[in-house]
Amino acid sequence: MTAPLEAAEPAAVQAAAGPGDERPTHRGTLQYALSKAGGALFSIAMVIIGTFFVFRLLPGDPVRNLAQGRNMTPTQLALERHRLGLDKPMLDQFVDFVGKTLRFDLGTSYEYKRPVLDLIGERLGPTLLLAGVGLVIAVSLGLWQGTRAGWRHNSRFDRVSTGVSLVLWSVPTFWLGLLLLMVFGVGIGPIPGIFPTRGIESVDAPDGFAYVLDVASHMVLPCLTLVAVVYAQYLLVMRSSLLEEVSQDYVTVARAKGLRDDEVRRRHAVPNALLPTVTLVFMRIGFVVGGAVTVETIYSWPGLGQLFYEAIRVPDFTLMQGTFMLITVAVILMNTLADVVYRMLDPRVRSA
Amino acid sequence: MRKWIARLAVLGVALLMAGQGQVAHAQEPAAGKKVLRVGATQAVDSMNPFLAVRLVSTSIHRWMYGFLTVPDSKTLQPSPDLAESWTSSDDGLTWTFKIRQAKWSDGQPITADDAAWTLNKIMTDDAAKTANGPAVENYESVTANGQDLVIKLKAPQASILENPIPIMPKHVWEKVTDLANYEADTYPTVSSGPYIAVEHKKDQYVKLQANPNYWRGKPKIDELQVIFYDNPQAAIAGLKKGDIDLIGRLAPPEFQAIQNDPNIVAWNNQGRRAAYLEVNPGATTTDNKPVGDGHPALKDVKVRQALHYAIDKQKLVDEVQSGLAKPADGSIVPPMYKDFFWEATGDTKVTYDPAKANKILDDAGYKKGADGVRTMPDGKKKLEFRFTIHADTPIEDKLGEYLTGFFKEIGVTLTTVKLDSSKFSEETGVTGNYDIAISGWSVNPDPEEVLATHLCSRRPTPKGEGGGTESFYCDPTFEKLYQEQLKELDRTKRADLIKQMQERLYTEAPIIAIYYTNDLEGYRKDRITSITSIPEENGLLYGGSGYWPFYTVDTVAAPAGGSASGGGSNTGLILGVVGGVVVLGLVAFLVTRRRKSAADERE
Repeated sequence: MTAPLEAAEPAAVQAAAGPGDERPTHRGTLQYALSKAGGALFSIAMVIIGTFFVFRLLPGDPVRNLAQGRNMTPTQLALERHRLGLDKPMLDQFVDFVGKTLRFDLGTSYEYKRPVLDLIGERLGPTLLLAGVGLVIAVSLGLWQGTRAGWRHNSRFDRVSTGVSLVLWSVPTFWLGLLLLMVFGVGIGPIPGIFPTRGIESVDAPDGFAYVLDVASHMVLPCLTLVAVVYAQYLLVMRSSLLEEVSQDYVTVARAKGLRDDEVRRRHAVPNALLPTVTLVFMRIGFVVGGAVTVETIYSWPGLGQLFYEAIRVPDFTLMQGTFMLITVAVILMNTLADVVYRMLDPRVRSA
Repeated sequence: MRKWIARLAVLGVALLMAGQGQVAHAQEPAAGKKVLRVGATQAVDSMNPFLAVRLVSTSIHRWMYGFLTVPDSKTLQPSPDLAESWTSSDDGLTWTFKIRQAKWSDGQPITADDAAWTLNKIMTDDAAKTANGPAVENYESVTANGQDLVIKLKAPQASILENPIPIMPKHVWEKVTDLANYEADTYPTVSSGPYIAVEHKKDQYVKLQANPNYWRGKPKIDELQVIFYDNPQAAIAGLKKGDIDLIGRLAPPEFQAIQNDPNIVAWNNQGRRAAYLEVNPGATTTDNKPVGDGHPALKDVKVRQALHYAIDKQKLVDEVQSGLAKPADGSIVPPMYKDFFWEATGDTKVTYDPAKANKILDDAGYKKGADGVRTMPDGKKKLEFRFTIHADTPIEDKLGEYLTGFFKEIGVTLTTVKLDSSKFSEETGVTGNYDIAISGWSVNPDPEEVLATHLCSRRPTPKGEGGGTESFYCDPTFEKLYQEQLKELDRTKRADLIKQMQERLYTEAPIIAIYYTNDLEGYRKDRITSITSIPEENGLLYGGSGYWPFYTVDTVAAPAGGSASGGGSNTGLILGVVGGVVVLGLVAFLVTRRRKSAADERE
């Protein structure tokens, strides 16, 4: 916790030393990274504390809810409450929770009666696969179209791509997902339902390369939905940031040098315009862990988002705490990383 | 622009190829193999029967394990399962079950010791109580002697014959030390029912195979798969496409989506669920202290009865449930349980009659004000009630609209309050902060469980711990009848007592049954050749009691392999590979072209 305080001053000194000298700048970067890491640690500590209390504010008694629709006597309920440790005073529960969390023990899920860490472990793979691939496609598609659209401002490509992406962005995910499922999963009219309707793999999944194909075909519709509803943000950020660059003097200079239009764009304008998207992309990487609740639910994808959603309904405190902490920690780490990367990419941030 | 279209086309082709590869390449079952794929919109919470509470899990366990008794396929009365016969002592406290000479799926004999171990485990191990603790609460002791299982009770309990506990193989399960954290994920399982679980991919599917050692004989099908869908719409899509063969527990909108499909049998039969309104009769805790903010007028039985007369149940069925229910002319036990169903007749029967409702209220002194809304006889409070429903349930929303309309006719204002499910159960079951709330119960062949939810002891404790009440009802007559039916071993006499309890609930109206929702399911007629419901006449398939539908089911055998399916699979693979190569080639082409053009520019 002391790192950021110590680090602050030398960093300023480094900055004052000015550019030119390579070594101090590197040390400055290191110290800057350390201070950011310290801040991240502090945030994580706050998250751990906050997680416990925020979720306890949720209405509802987990024991009562788990017993819903079943015959349970009051003694039985009391027993269950004791088993889950919910009969202890709040402070004891909290101390227990913090102690366990620091030892990376996230407790046992109320509903699944299994360690939360195991549950998360099982779901993390599918989530990373789906949301990761989705992110890569959405970012590439968004940045590529954004670049084109920004460079040829008001062209037909610009109007069409921006329009389409905004329409998709505004479409409710659930609706679009179900529509794609109906059309390409079940098939309508001449369109055959070639994609599976659920899950990450077939029940009788084949082995080897065929298995990869099997999973890939299961991924098509969820990925398509995921990409369709989010790529607009990359497109728009890229487009507007490129628009700003287009009128800059250096672009005019580059053109005056006689460079081809393509080169002006790729070598000069785009690298500069990319900077704002870096923050955005890193932030989204953090959220990848959280999965995509809606898409996972439509396509019965066994991911984390869906697990978290189910946990809220109980409320399954341990499971919620576990998944929530994982998601927030991922976001914090990615944000920290973004800060550091940003500084390395953009010298202006370094000297400021 | 053209390049963009080209790339999109490539992407499309790639996706198509991937799809083709899958469709044809999901492993074809061996020729002649019969597989049934059941869709479920719930994932298994645990494969350990001591811990599992979700319906999908308990259903699977019913297909896997024997019980002492099973509801008869016609009458639903307890009939022999693992216990082939039983006797009880005159005082009804000692029960002796004779366990059948049969074998576990691993060849070991099934003995009374297995049953005694299972029941004793639940009685002594807190973790084992999770799923079925209440079932053994009244047990004094359980002992085994050869094939004889002796259960001694603390107090008489007629419902002992409907024991919900699967009997586990002692020789396998006694080795488990930490039951609370045991996942029971060793496959194949050792079981005694028609099926053996052979694989469980968490949150995806459970695969079961026919048990060749099953004492009734091997099921007709070879494999039973339970496949999970996270949402019902996708499951319906799966059924229409043929990814699954059967799905149960549908809501009216989903059912309507399959009604006109030529390949699907839309199963619409009487169900086991009663939907009712909880009318706060003056909520109290177990020490009889008032709790919550229920409207004082509802303490008056006259007001509750007037509300009952004001409800047009037929209209609710037609408009809210799309006709897929039966108006409730009784209480919480639906008519499918012929032995226990009580039907209101003659003067007792409440029919839709707003005039009568108005008269009851007029006579009781609830006068209408200038605005048409009645006030309490002391003139202090208007008859303005809240109707508490679950958030995100369109059907309950619609119900609220209709009830508001009905009650307006009798000078009662109704406002809908939406709560998420945990808050809902808190307010309607513990804190008593409601006037009228929606609820329902899926009733078992023995209705004791649902009747118990209206006992005084189920009200919350003074400390504010919920006991599972469904009405905050506390009535000496009801309590007395409940105690009597516990002791009554004669089924007819007991049914009579249970009917009296329903009549009491009907006339006192702490709850008002509005309709019995139908059991809505769907299955593919091109896949399932025969299936018997439970009960055999107008019964349920999935979600019914016992294993009958899934024991008797027969499906179309997989066609002989080789020619058609084999060829398809090869074509698929070839197409997949070709697709992959084409995509890679195009990518390579685009990259090199780009390099080249960049190089051109540098020159």
